[in-house]
Amino acid sequence: MRYARWALLALAAAALVTFPYWSAPWESSRFATTVVRDALILAIFALSLDLLVGRAGMPSLGHAAFFGAGAYAAGIAGQRLATDQLPVTLGAAALVAALLALLIGVLVVRSEGIFFLMLTLALAQIVFAIAFQWTALTGGSNGLSGVGRPMIASLDFSAPELIYVLVAVTFLLVAILIWGLVRSPYGRALIGVRENERRMRALGYDTARLRLSAFVLAGTIAGVAGALSAYSTRFVSAQDAGLGNSVRAFVTVLVGGAGSLGGPIAGSALVSLIERIVPSLLPTDLRIAQAILGVVFIVFVLFARQGMVGLGRSAWLRVRR
Amino acid sequence: MIETRELRRAFGGVVALDGVSLTLSEGERRAVIGPNGAGKTTLINILAGEISPTGGSVRLAGQDITRLRPWQRARLGLAHVYQRTELFAPLSARENVALAVAARRGPYRVFRAPPRAEYDEADAVLERVGLGGREGVSVRALSHGERRQLELAVALAQRPRVLLLDEPTAGMSPVETARITDLVAGLDRALTILIVEHDMDVVFRLADRVSVLHEGRVIADGTAAQVRADVRVHDVYLGKAITVA
Amino acid sequence: MSFELAFQQALNGLSFGALLFILASGLSLVFGMMDVVNLAHGAFYMLGAYIALSVVQLTGSFWLAMLAAPLALALLGLVIEPLLLRRLRGRHLDQVLLTIGLSLVIVDLIGQLWGREVRSLSAPPGLDGSVTLIGGVYPVYRLFVIAFGVALAAAMAVIYRRTKIGMLIRAGVEDAEMLGALGINTNRLFASTFATGAALAGLAGVIAAPVFGIQPGMDTDPGLLYSLVVVVVGGLGTLSGAVAGSLLVGPADTFGKVLFQDVALAVIFAIVALVLLLKPTGLLGRIRIAR
Repeated sequence: MRYARWALLALAAAALVTFPYWSAPWESSRFATTVVRDALILAIFALSLDLLVGRAGMPSLGHAAFFGAGAYAAGIAGQRLATDQLPVTLGAAALVAALLALLIGVLVVRSEGIFFLMLTLALAQIVFAIAFQWTALTGGSNGLSGVGRPMIASLDFSAPELIYVLVAVTFLLVAILIWGLVRSPYGRALIGVRENERRMRALGYDTARLRLSAFVLAGTIAGVAGALSAYSTRFVSAQDAGLGNSVRAFVTVLVGGAGSLGGPIAGSALVSLIERIVPSLLPTDLRIAQAILGVVFIVFVLFARQGMVGLGRSAWLRVRR
Repeated sequence: MIETRELRRAFGGVVALDGVSLTLSEGERRAVIGPNGAGKTTLINILAGEISPTGGSVRLAGQDITRLRPWQRARLGLAHVYQRTELFAPLSARENVALAVAARRGPYRVFRAPPRAEYDEADAVLERVGLGGREGVSVRALSHGERRQLELAVALAQRPRVLLLDEPTAGMSPVETARITDLVAGLDRALTILIVEHDMDVVFRLADRVSVLHEGRVIADGTAAQVRADVRVHDVYLGKAITVA
Repeated sequence: MSFELAFQQALNGLSFGALLFILASGLSLVFGMMDVVNLAHGAFYMLGAYIALSVVQLTGSFWLAMLAAPLALALLGLVIEPLLLRRLRGRHLDQVLLTIGLSLVIVDLIGQLWGREVRSLSAPPGLDGSVTLIGGVYPVYRLFVIAFGVALAAAMAVIYRRTKIGMLIRAGVEDAEMLGALGINTNRLFASTFATGAALAGLAGVIAAPVFGIQPGMDTDPGLLYSLVVVVVGGLGTLSGAVAGSLLVGPADTFGKVLFQDVALAVIFAIVALVLLLKPTGLLGRIRIAR
């Protein structure tokens, strides 16, 4: 029974990674590949945010700063160092995002609730302002174009199928990483901090450091997501670091269900569906995907705060009973 | 074991502690009593490191801990049972205690489930406080009395050298009070305990020595019998102590 | 910087500050009373500007727009508070999240209804000229903005201190639940507070339109971001905080853009971060932390 479950998961993972190949006969395979690719990037981004929102109880509204920092770092490192090597550019993305998260994290980890939310928003806005106005480095309002292609040794990942595979494999690795984190003593400690920080301190946990470590870890993973986005579109926009992108990640986490592994993934599927599929079903002059997303979000906040995963769980319990 | 020297603390213009010096030797069980507003909770909070004193010092096993943060004190062997229940609500009793057990090894262990041994140790502690059989129940489903027992279990799981008990029987029924009193009385004699309590029966049952706090000062200090006989204590308590005796 | 230029910039800074006050006062009021940081405030501001645009196109009257836009926003607030926010009473963080959703909906619908191009609204006749002040030519409309901001602040101060409603507001900022215990209908109080906050955002949208233009993205910048900056710097939830924040941020931003150009935006948000870190309740804020 247990092995069957693992085998099923492995099969699903293999199917996910090879999606562009087995879907190739299908007419809209190319479009579907980019949609799933972008959904997986959003899922990585949302999984990293959920480490803060769902596990450690830190409602960050500035997470796009790290996504943007990773995207810019990957692009700029490639251009300045004149290399397409993935280990270099992705390493630069992770490093820059981690350092930025450390810097911002030191400033924010002691505040809570609405103040944490506003402080992360304000500090992320500084990052956005720098991205938007430092034209010489980032391309400013025009964005950074001509991001290098991702290569490992002589293997070029820039073809649509291969960049997809790169994204899907990274997604799986991140999901495994986070699964390993949350079930470990570290993950339990984060939940302890969320539920009762004062008690955790009295038990001998350095909670400020715990929160900081989660913040840096989440920022680093967001930076990796940003780099993947830069490789995919070969372009970085200042909006990648903007409030809209932070809100998007937050909405994804909450709609899917905070504090679970499946939640951010389900959320990114739903958000991608609304952003990419629903518009094609509506008349072309009706561009209200964001409004639909907003309504869906409001409904979840009002009636299903546990998100899609929570809904699924209670439905499952009802069926079994 | 734990010692304060001339502890002072003022909130704005209000002096809560006005030079409190206490010395507890190893294994001693000391009760601090006094009317409301005497500074008992302030004293406990300063000992635990949750608020800092305006003057004076705190020593634990000879080491000056006045400037240490709560988590550092906990690492040195100080455990604190709060007046109000402070637990991790959605977690089970076992997981609550396991967090305290795991604290000794630190949180930076990833990619493995919490070791079986930590849960076994948690279960053993729960058994000791009379919560055997309730390990898997979430905090929300426990009664008030059981939560207080769980609080004690969490504190004991830290394997402390000094235990601070802030009104452990507050809001309890007589049966529950008797149970928790028996539990504390039956603890390892090597453990140093400082207890703040209103219920005089509990105080005289548990404490080797009693310190009486009044308006931020220690006005009497001695064995339970000495304090019971002290006239000043009667003045402060308006005869409350006599009814106990 | 020459004296004339400095004077001109000072006036610009003041008029920006006055605009910021109109914009931020609503956000501050709602936070003070309801403990909700309304992240849809920028969307309300944007909606006010677009409604004004339509009213001016239909009737040709800027003054009518200045009446209609706040009124429409007030009505919207009167619908939103009981229908949505009230269901989450006491869950402040969820209420804040709800306003994020509201903002997404309102901004997208504005784009759908009015289009996603940059629009402009000219100052009303009589205020569209300019005057010569200390050697410089200066737009009359900006002087009007300053006067309007001062008048609004004065009117609000009088309402706060002299009227029964003002007394309720001040008491509500201290402890809104307490008012309920005293037999005040808090449902009605919260609904009217939220409506007033929305109306003030709408008013700011109208008044700012001739200065900043009307375009997609205005909900965030200047709308939400600057009103957050003002109330955070000045202190959440108090009238004097909103005044102090506007007077500080308006000139600081204006001179920052002249002196530092590229990094001005970063400078402003750095100030915010600094204030939040050193004094989380703002320079003049009350000590009450909502979680």
